[in-house]
Formats: sequence, structure tokens, C-alpha cells
Amino acid sequence: MKKSPSVLVIGGGSTGTGIARDLAMRGLDVTLVEKGNLTHGTTGRMHGLLHSGGRYAVSDQPSAKECIEENRVLRRIAGHCVEMTGGLFVQRPEDSDEYFEKKLEGCRECGIPAEVLSAEEAREIEPYLAKDIKRAIKVPDGAVDPFRLCVANAASAVEHGARIETHSEVTDVLVEDGEVVGVEVTHQTGTGPYVHGEPGEVEEIRADYVVNATGAWAGQIGDLAGVDVEVRPSKGVMTIMNTRQVDTVVNRCRPKGDADIIVPHETTCILGTTDEEVEDPEDYPEEGWEVDLMIETLSELVPMLAEARTIRSFWGVRPLYEPPGTGTEDPTDITREFFLLDHDDRDDLPGMTSIVGGKLTTYRMMAEQISDHVCEKLDVEAECRTADVPLPGSEDFTVLRDYMDDFGLRSPIGRRSAQRLGSRADEVLNSVDPNPVVCECEAVTRAEIQDSLDTAGTELNSVRIQTRASMGNCQGAICCHRMANELAPEYDEETIRASLDDLYQERWKGERHAMWGTQLSQTALKHMLHAATMNRDEDPAAADADIDFAAFDDGGASEGDASGVASGGAVADGGRERTDRADDDALGGADGDN
Amino acid sequence: MAITDDVLVIGGGIAACTAALSAAETGARVRLLAHKKSTLRQASGLVDVLGYAGGDGPLSDPYAGLDALPEGHPYHVVGEDGVRAGLRIFDEAVGDAYRGGHTDSNALVMTHGGAVKPTARYPESVAPGLASTSGDMLLVGFAGLTDFDAPVAADHLTAAGVPFSPRGVTVEFPKRFRADAKVTRFAKALDRDEDVDGGTVRSALADTVAEELDGESRVGFPAMLGDDHDEEVRAELSDRLGVPVFEVPTGPPSLLGLKLEDMLFDALDEAGVRISAGNPAVDFEAEDGRVETVVVDQKSRPTPYSADQVVLATGGLVGKGLDSDRESVTEPVFGCHVPHPEDRYDWSEPEAFGDHAFARFGVVPDDELRPTGEDGEPHFENLRAAGGVVGGADVAREKSASGVSLATGAVAGRLAGEEATR
Amino acid sequence: MSDAESPGNPTLTPDAQTDDFEAVEVFPDSTDMDLRPGADNCYKCTACDVSCPVAEVDDEFPGPKFQGPEQWRLKRKEDEAVDDSIMSCSNCMRCDDACPSGVPLSQMHNTARGEYVDEEMDKLSREYIRNRILANYGTLAQLGSMFPRLANAVMGNSVVQRINEKVLGITAERDFPEFATQTFREWWNERGGPQVRSEEKRVAYFHGCYSNYNTPEVGKAMVRLFESFGYEVVVPKQRCSGTPMFANGMLDDAKRAAGINVENFAGLIPEGYDIIASCTSCSMSLRQEYPELFDIDGIEDLSAHTYEALEYLRIHEDLESEVREASVEDQSFAYHAPCHGRNQGLDRQAVELFRQLDGVDIEDVGDSCSGISGTYGWKEEKYDKSMQIGADMFDHMEHAQGDVGMTECPTCSMQMEHGTGYDIKHPLQLLEEALV
Repeated sequence: MKKSPSVLVIGGGSTGTGIARDLAMRGLDVTLVEKGNLTHGTTGRMHGLLHSGGRYAVSDQPSAKECIEENRVLRRIAGHCVEMTGGLFVQRPEDSDEYFEKKLEGCRECGIPAEVLSAEEAREIEPYLAKDIKRAIKVPDGAVDPFRLCVANAASAVEHGARIETHSEVTDVLVEDGEVVGVEVTHQTGTGPYVHGEPGEVEEIRADYVVNATGAWAGQIGDLAGVDVEVRPSKGVMTIMNTRQVDTVVNRCRPKGDADIIVPHETTCILGTTDEEVEDPEDYPEEGWEVDLMIETLSELVPMLAEARTIRSFWGVRPLYEPPGTGTEDPTDITREFFLLDHDDRDDLPGMTSIVGGKLTTYRMMAEQISDHVCEKLDVEAECRTADVPLPGSEDFTVLRDYMDDFGLRSPIGRRSAQRLGSRADEVLNSVDPNPVVCECEAVTRAEIQDSLDTAGTELNSVRIQTRASMGNCQGAICCHRMANELAPEYDEETIRASLDDLYQERWKGERHAMWGTQLSQTALKHMLHAATMNRDEDPAAADADIDFAAFDDGGASEGDASGVASGGAVADGGRERTDRADDDALGGADGDN
Repeated sequence: MAITDDVLVIGGGIAACTAALSAAETGARVRLLAHKKSTLRQASGLVDVLGYAGGDGPLSDPYAGLDALPEGHPYHVVGEDGVRAGLRIFDEAVGDAYRGGHTDSNALVMTHGGAVKPTARYPESVAPGLASTSGDMLLVGFAGLTDFDAPVAADHLTAAGVPFSPRGVTVEFPKRFRADAKVTRFAKALDRDEDVDGGTVRSALADTVAEELDGESRVGFPAMLGDDHDEEVRAELSDRLGVPVFEVPTGPPSLLGLKLEDMLFDALDEAGVRISAGNPAVDFEAEDGRVETVVVDQKSRPTPYSADQVVLATGGLVGKGLDSDRESVTEPVFGCHVPHPEDRYDWSEPEAFGDHAFARFGVVPDDELRPTGEDGEPHFENLRAAGGVVGGADVAREKSASGVSLATGAVAGRLAGEEATR
Repeated sequence: MSDAESPGNPTLTPDAQTDDFEAVEVFPDSTDMDLRPGADNCYKCTACDVSCPVAEVDDEFPGPKFQGPEQWRLKRKEDEAVDDSIMSCSNCMRCDDACPSGVPLSQMHNTARGEYVDEEMDKLSREYIRNRILANYGTLAQLGSMFPRLANAVMGNSVVQRINEKVLGITAERDFPEFATQTFREWWNERGGPQVRSEEKRVAYFHGCYSNYNTPEVGKAMVRLFESFGYEVVVPKQRCSGTPMFANGMLDDAKRAAGINVENFAGLIPEGYDIIASCTSCSMSLRQEYPELFDIDGIEDLSAHTYEALEYLRIHEDLESEVREASVEDQSFAYHAPCHGRNQGLDRQAVELFRQLDGVDIEDVGDSCSGISGTYGWKEEKYDKSMQIGADMFDHMEHAQGDVGMTECPTCSMQMEHGTGYDIKHPLQLLEEALV
């Protein structure tokens, strides 16, 4: 049998996994490498909006048209990753009528179904909207779970023969005779089905073609290959509310600006966002004013946000790109279109193409275009099928909705589980007995945790991303250690403890941005539970020094004090024994006997 | 017409109970004004006094660590005497239900995660399971309970170098419940010794565990061995297994914490303390630097309670004795000064178990435990504070939570009672 | 330091105690409210779960934390299905009393139950019809009281009881409460209404169904006691407070009754009347559930002016001194605080007061739930659970010195009598004996 041409894809986000799936389905020999876990970069850090295209209907109509087209495709192929919430562009009294009309017209020009609602009609859909809003435009926005989308694309790619290597960082791009011939990766510490190398091991992976799909990191890969890729990473904050104040995507209907969107996402709402250019996509300040801005500005649309509880905030970095010489000053003016940079045409370096810019909603279309390009380069004739074949978990999803209340679970738990697992719900939820709930906030059962371990290995953060366990209001206070316990008996206690520490620290990072009010009380309870009750901060098992167990209370086995401590008088007899205050100068303050 | 007493203690947790008992000892007429259920229900039921101080620990002698505590720590205000007074009141209130009073030394007790921790008093049901005693140990977990994984906990004990061999097994509880049955359901089934196939819950559980027992000299279960009839349950299991049976303290839902709460309220009743529970103190009236009345929100109707002396024991951030927003941290009943960094990002550290400022938030006591203003002067002549609402201690990392509450409660209550009956 | 210098001195508003939010009606003309934001207050301490007397004996019931903040938070607007376990909640409201963080648990439960009954329950099912009958006890009692002796004979007939159980699912284990031969209102009319007139001291009595039809002596004690303190007592026309309707998800029935009660009582408030109830569930309903669940003109005002009888006298009179100076014949009581009384902070007042009454020995039998929770213990399928919940109380009553029970709640009193055979008194009856 003739050997298929080989392609190496760098980047395990939506674009990379989308490309891997597309090319693998076309029969190519695909390897995908990702330095972290899947969705490590931008994909894992976005607000989860499934664009209708409405947001670009005035400023960027080509993007808007792509969005509405792909919006329809994703509803078809990724039903279990998408919630069709609908969206509103809400006009406040101070927002311009002219822009409102332009938005409406733009939507119609781009083929985006758009309907004007009176303030009353809009409030009927979303009762918590401000009482003084003027009117709104209704569009088919939705919410998409980027994590599940990526995982499903990767799973499909593997089904079609692809090799996926997570925790494998590209440390060099191999250039021979002026042509890219592969990459050198250094394997990192990690576990899971997509980890095959040993930490620190260096591997050369050769391929007939290399695709750089690393988004905001594309410039760094470019550097390794000796070409310039002018990515302009731009950070944006996303603030997560504890509950859904709205069930519809709510956009502010005014020209571009910070803090103008609320996306209902699973059990939460995500407030977004800011747009600030940064130097390094991995090292940038995460600042409190950005969080304050979200709350203050968006409460103009939904006033109750001002007092509502936020559970964390996170930042993502957009992989913005603009062709050399454009020189846009304000990052919000940089186009959201995607660019395919063939380094042969551009830099006389054949064998590699970079893909930059773009957005999650159009990931499949981007993947299709670059796959077409790669096939053309490799002289392969194969049709793209990704728009027609459902992703794993989304087959017959409509049928599933009819029985998602089963599985012996309380109906909201069964429903949530089925919404996450899609057509795999039956198989997964019936696999474990008893099947207790591990994460109560997000209704995640043991069966789903166990299922996610197949791909997560010991990485509880990956379990979290797949299942949402520990992503609810207690931010893992109650369930982190339960999740870690699920790693037994497959992994040993030391590994379990290390995984727990990692997850706890990761939760802490985002939760710090929400530490006031109820969430600060929650954090204080978490601190009490993990430090006071479980002594995880001073865990003797993790300490270097050995404990002298004999110095402690032996329960009175040896009558008289076994500890050897100078006894100040035991009081178990209920007597009012008092000792002389030996060191009241040091202890100062109130006298116990005055 | 205000309901009038000598001493009014606001709060319902361990500090409030201790303050009320301490004030009652002086002969004062005391009323406890509790709102909702206290944080005792979330706590393990262990009474930590001091386990870590100044980078040292676990401390076998809690008193040895007092000097090393940072400036502003409430233990410096009440002194070693205050700590001892708190423990005395506690020991008298709970009687034989708690152990550890025979010595000044801390015990090392395992927690449900498997880590051991230093603690000063522990429930009788926990006593046979001390990690600071020898005797091989079998830990038993249940398949449907996710909080306690017995094999993991046993391996965790081994990793800490305990002076015995621990081993863990996971079994099915003899009575099959729905997967989300509460621990109170398990406890009730044991309390009532409900019927199961081929016997009763207790005997069937003993049979199951007996099959797993392999020479171990003690057997531990997560703390759910009965509620009202817990002693009976433990005695029967011990009897059937031929070795002592113990409970491993857990986080919420904590039956041990719940039982401690019951014991303390029984002690209050015994001591003649009057109790008004269920409604929050929300406001006050003051005159000439003294609190005259405390206003209780009785289902949105203000009801006045007056007393000569008032003890504020409403808890910290968890107990809602402290409140916060994006800008500030406040004490909501009397508006006492609560120092805190201006930038809320300085309230916590980037490391999860760092030296967080929030953990030490609270009012600043003078040498009579009176909350002071920014000027260092007491807000009110007759208002004292005890427990979590008092700042200066990271009780979680120090393992001093109950101790601080007992000590400050004992001293604040006694001073208030003495003033009121003078 | 003066009062004025104290920063952050809070003002007393209805939501001063919790970070309340305003629930909105999602769909006009319906009782569906969006309580998801109420989940913001939950920090998962599970104090509610360990306080739940049902979860302790019935693992079909997943506990108040799940039924309340968790289920609401997991809800999306288009999700219609409320888990059917909501019908196992007895509405004792102990979770409300437990929650240290101000989660509106019982409001969440009541609303979810209403939604479940409206949207998912078969209106022709035996369960629905039975619940509707139990929830509308007042209507039933009205009929029974027309011919009390006949009704008592019929309801006490074991054949009828068995039919009730088989056909309706009402347990045959319990004896139906006897109807009084003269209702409280009949007595009130016969005596010619108020015997004391006052411009300053005025109360309107909310007697509820039970004091009217079954235990008029409680109502009479209330009237005589308040009149002895110089109060003008009036007894406006009234309907059921709604408690059994909330517990069975019959929110439309409850709303109708509430409309009449608000109309008849709220109008008296400007004339200087406060509203007094002798049943702690009635006062609970008027004070808390009314404003939480219904938007009726005057309902907040009614809520703010409603008191339980003893509570009112404690606040407005020097009751303690009066009691200290009085005495009664030697008697001992085993007192049980009803859960709904506990929720209003009234659980200790009877014990505290009567300990100072010469001749009386009174013991609190602990903070367990009696288990009957209004209509819960009347349901055939819940009867055993109800008795299991009550077992602690029966046990403590038998260990207590007193051989007479005491409680403020009529259904707790039924359960106490059913479980121990004791006679049960209302605190007002003892107070009347001491002071009038």
C-alpha cells in the first residue's frame, strides 16, 4: 500500500485539532503536537460565544458572513458542544440610533436573521435587563463549549488514524536545504492517552508538510524557522458570574468597546472583555481594573450584575494578525479575519504554512481552507467532509434529548450530564455503580470523572475542563479532594496528592480575582476546610522532617504525661486549676485574673 | 419594651457559647442571641489549640508555641491563662464526650484526607484512632461516599511515617441507598439498627468488615457511626469485631461538629443561659460610649434587646461576622474597625496556602478584648469581641481555630460578667 | 465615642439580614419565578442537609441543598423538569433556619414544588386529588363542623379510614382530629365579639383553621389573655394561611386565600391593629412566605405587623414580671418547639417564660422535628417516615418528667399525642390559667 503523505500540525487548540481531523479524514498521515494539554492556549480561554456574525455585521462583513455559515454547520456537527441561546443587541438610551440601524442593515446584508424587539419584548425574553433600555435586535448567537469541541475534534482525528502528542513542546523547526522537513519536540511531564514520550526526551518528527496553528504563539514558531510572523497578541479579561442572570447572549449595541457582551455559558454567565495588546502571550498583567470594568459597565445592561457574585476571572490572548505595514494603532481595530501564510510564497521557505487570526466560530472553515492548501501542496485529491460528519458525541443528539432524564440520576443531574456527554451519555453514565455525584455545583458524577480520566491521566485540570467538575461556585472547596480520590486505585497516593495540589492551585489562581463578598466567604471556608480540617498546608507526609510521634498525646495509655512537656496542669477533672503566669511580659495584654 | 439581661452574647458558635458559659459563671444573667446554625457544622469537631507557630510544627506542646506567634495575635491578649480558662470551660461543658484533657500535649489525629494534624481535644469516638498511638489500623470506606477513600487515606498515613501499619478497604454499606444519600441517612440507619437482608445494619456491617480484618487492632470509619445512639453503635461494632472502633473526623457535613454544637447548647441550658435563636442582630443604639440596646431583625421587624454588657461573637468571614465588597471589609453589626489592605489583590497571596491577609481579618481588640477604632481606643466601653470576628490569627494554618474561640470567649465572657455584676 | 461616629451602622430594611435579590416573575400571569440568583449566597457548607429531618430517614429525598440552590443553579430557562423528589420535602423549613448564608431555601422549594405540581403532576392522579384535599383542610373542616358529631363519628369509623387510605392515600393509622361542637367563631359571635375596647392597644386575631374548628379553647385563651392586658381584640373574616397549600405545591389555592387574608387584615393596620396568630405555622406563612411568594398590595405591610401571640406579649408587656408573680397548680410539661416557630426565633420563649412560673416544671424535649409537618404525616406513603422522624421526640418526651405535652403547633400536637398518648396544651392555655 502506498504510504500517505505526512503532515505535522503544531498546536492543540480548535484550529489545530480541526486541521488534524480534516486531514486525517482525507486519509493523510497526521501528527499533532501541543506543548500543554489540548486547549492549553487561547481556545481554553475564551468566552464561548458562537457568533451569529452580528458582532461583525457593521465593521467586518466578510467575517460576519463566515460566522453565520459556520454557526449553522456547528449546530449540525457539534450539537453537544453548542447551546443555541439566541442573542440580543441591546440599545440603551445613550446609544446611537444610527448605529442600531446600521447593525440591523448589516445583519440583513450578511444573511443573519435579525428581528427588532421593543424594550418590553426584550425584557420578556430577559427579565433582568435594565428597565430603561430602548430596544434590541435578536440574532441567532449561541454558546459553544470550546473544551469539548477540541476534545471531540482530537478524538475524531485519532479515530481516523492521527497521532496526537500533548505535552510536547516544539523546540526547533527542522530546516534542510532551505525547506522545512519537520520539528524537534521536547516531551514534558504529563499524563494521558496523548502522552507517549518521557519527560525531557527530545524527538525529531519529520513530515512532508508542517502547519503552524499556534495562534498567539505563531511568531515564536516562526522564529524557530527563521521567518517573521507578525502576530499581535491582545489580552482580554473574562469574568465568570456564579449563576445565569441571562439565558441569551446579551451584546451592547454600540461600536466596538470594552465590556460589551454577556454570554450564558453552562451554569454561569461570562462577562467580556477588554482588548489590550501585550508583548508576550504567556506573561502579561492580569489587573483588577479590568474586572471592575466588566461589572460596572455591563451592569448598565443588567443592573443586578453589580451585586451578583463572581466566582473567578481569567484572561485569554487573541492571536491577532495584520499584514506587514498595516500599522494599526489600536488593537481593537485589527481585523478578526484569519490569514494563511504560505512561507514558500512569502519567505521562500517551502514546507510550512502558518495560520493566524480568526475566531473559534470559524475554526472548521479555517481548517478546511488550510487542509485544501496542504492537499494542493502535497498533490492529494480528497474532499473535505468535516461539515457533514458529526463529531463524536453529537451523533443522533436530537434523539438523546428525549431520554436524558434517565440514568437513575436526579433529573437536573441527568440532564446536565447528557448535555455534556451527548450521545455517549448512555455508555458513560451506566458504566459505574454506585454512581455518586462528585462535584455538586456542576452535577458531575463519578462515572463522568472516570470517563474523563481516559484522556486526562492524572491531570485533574483536564478532568475539570472536560467535565466542569470544580468549576462551580465553591471552586473546588468541596470536591477537589474527591476528584483526586477518583485517581485511586490506578495511581499511587503520592501522585494523587500531587494532582490535588495542582488542581487546587489552578483554582486559586482564577478565584483570586473574585475574592470579595460571598466568594471571599467561600474562599475562607475553603481555606478552613483544606488547611484547618485537612491540614493540607502542613501535611506531614509532604514535609522533609520526620515527626516524633512519641512526643504527642498517646490517648492516656501511659498514665502521667508521656510527652515530657512541663505540665501546666491538666484540667480534665473540671477543677479551676490555674497556673502562674510565667511569661506575662511576653504575652502582654489582658490578665486572666483581674 | 426591650428584653433585658446582664450580658448579651451575639453569636451561636463555639466562641459565643464559651463567652456565655464564662459570663454565667460570674452569676450574671446571660442571653445568647444566635442567628443561624454556626460554623461548627462545617468543622471537624476537633478542638485545635495551636499546632504550628513561627515556622515550627507540628507542636507537641501548644503552649510552647505561644511566644512565637506574630504581634497582634489574640493569644497575646488573653495569655496562656486565657487559653487554659477556655479549655477548662470546654472540658466542663462536654464532660466525657471529649478526650485529651489529661495532658498538655497535642494529639496527632488523622483527618478524612489522610493527613494527620495536631489537636488538643478530640471526641471520644476519635480517641482509639490517634495517629500518635501504636496499633495497626484498618480503615473502612464506603463505595458511595466520595469524601473518604480509605485505601488512599491509609497510604497517606504511611507516607507520614506513622508508628503502625495502616490499611484501607472500600466496602458496600449493608443497606443500599440512593447514590446521593446524606451521611445523616447512614447514621440514622445505624442508630435505628435497621433491618437488612439476613440481619440488621450493625451486624451486617460488622460481618462485612470482619472479613477484611487481618490482625489489625483498631478499625476506623468516616464519622457517621450513629447520631443519637452513637455510643451504642460503636460499642456493638467493637464488640462484634473484637477490636476498638473509631471515627475519622470529616469536613462538612460533619456529624461530630453537629454533636459538639448540641453539647454546647445543652451546657448553656444547664447553666441557665437564655437563648434567642433564629434572627440576626442588625443594629444597635448607643449612648455615652456604651451600647444600650441591640436591635434584632425579627423577620423584618426591629426588636430591641438590652444588656449591661455585650459580647460580639458573630464569627469571621465564614460565619458572616465580617462582610466585604470590592473596596472594603466591614463588621456589619457595630461597624467596628477592620483593618485591611486597600488593594483587594493584597487580601490574598498567589500561592493557595500562602500567608493570606484575609485569614487574619477581624476587629482589633484592646487588652480587655474590646474592639478598637483606628485611633486605638475602644469603640464602646461595654462591647467585647471573641472568636472569629477577632483578627490577627490565621487559625487555619496555625491549627488554632477552636482554641482562639475558647480563649477569647472565656476571657470576654468573664470580663463582661464581672462588669455586669459588679 | 458616640453612636454617630460608628461607621457602617446599618439601617433596618427587610433585606438587611441577607444579600437579598429581587426575584422576578419570568412569565407574567404565572407564579414561576427565577430564583437562580438566590444560589449566589450558597457556599456549600451543607448545614441545611444535616438539619433535614426527611433526608435522615428517606434517601429518596436528596436534601435541601440539592433541592434548593443546586437545582436552581443548574436550571436553564427552557428546562421544564423539576426533579420529582421535591414532593418528598415536608416543608418543615428547618433548612431556612440552618443556612448561615441567607439562601432562600424554602422559597426555592415552594416555588419549585409549585412548578412541579403545575407542570408535571397529573391532575387526575390519586396523589394530586389527595394532596388537594389535604391542602384545603379548611374547606373540609368547614363541612365537618356543620355537623360535628356526625362528622366525628364518620371520620373515626375504621371502615371510612380504610377507604380513605385505599382510595385517597390518607393514612388509616391516624385518627382524624375531632371537630369541636362549637367553633371558635361561633363562640366569638355568641359572646358578642370584643369585650374590651381600646384606641391604643389593638390586635386582630388570625386564628387559622385548627383553632377555629378543632381546638377553640386555644382561641378563647388568646382572647381572654389579650383582653386581660387591655387589648381590643377583633377577629376578621379569614381563610387558611396557606401553609398546607405551599407544602403541596398548590400555589394558586394559596394565592387566592392570601388575597382574602391580606384584604381583610392589612386594612386594619393603619387603624393601629397588629396581627396576632396562635399557630406558629400561620404566623410563619403571613410573615415569610406571603411576601416571598406573592405580589399582593399590602402583603409586605401585613408581614411586618404579624406576631405570634406570646412573642407579642413579651415585646409589648412586662410578661416576665407578671409570670414571676403568678402561680398555678403543680404541673409538668414536655415542651416541643415546632420547626416553624424555631424559624421565627420563638423556640425558647415558652420554656424561658414558664420556668419562672411557680408550680410549673417544663422541659424542652430537644430540637428534633415532630415529623408530621402538617399534611406530610397524613400521607399513606409518608406515614412510616413521619413516625421515624418523630421517634426522637417521642423518646425525649417519654424521658421528660412532664406527662403533658406542650407546643404551639396544632399538627405537632397531633403527632405528639399520636406518638405518646399524652394530652397536649398550647402555651396560651397555661398562660391564661396563670394570669387571667
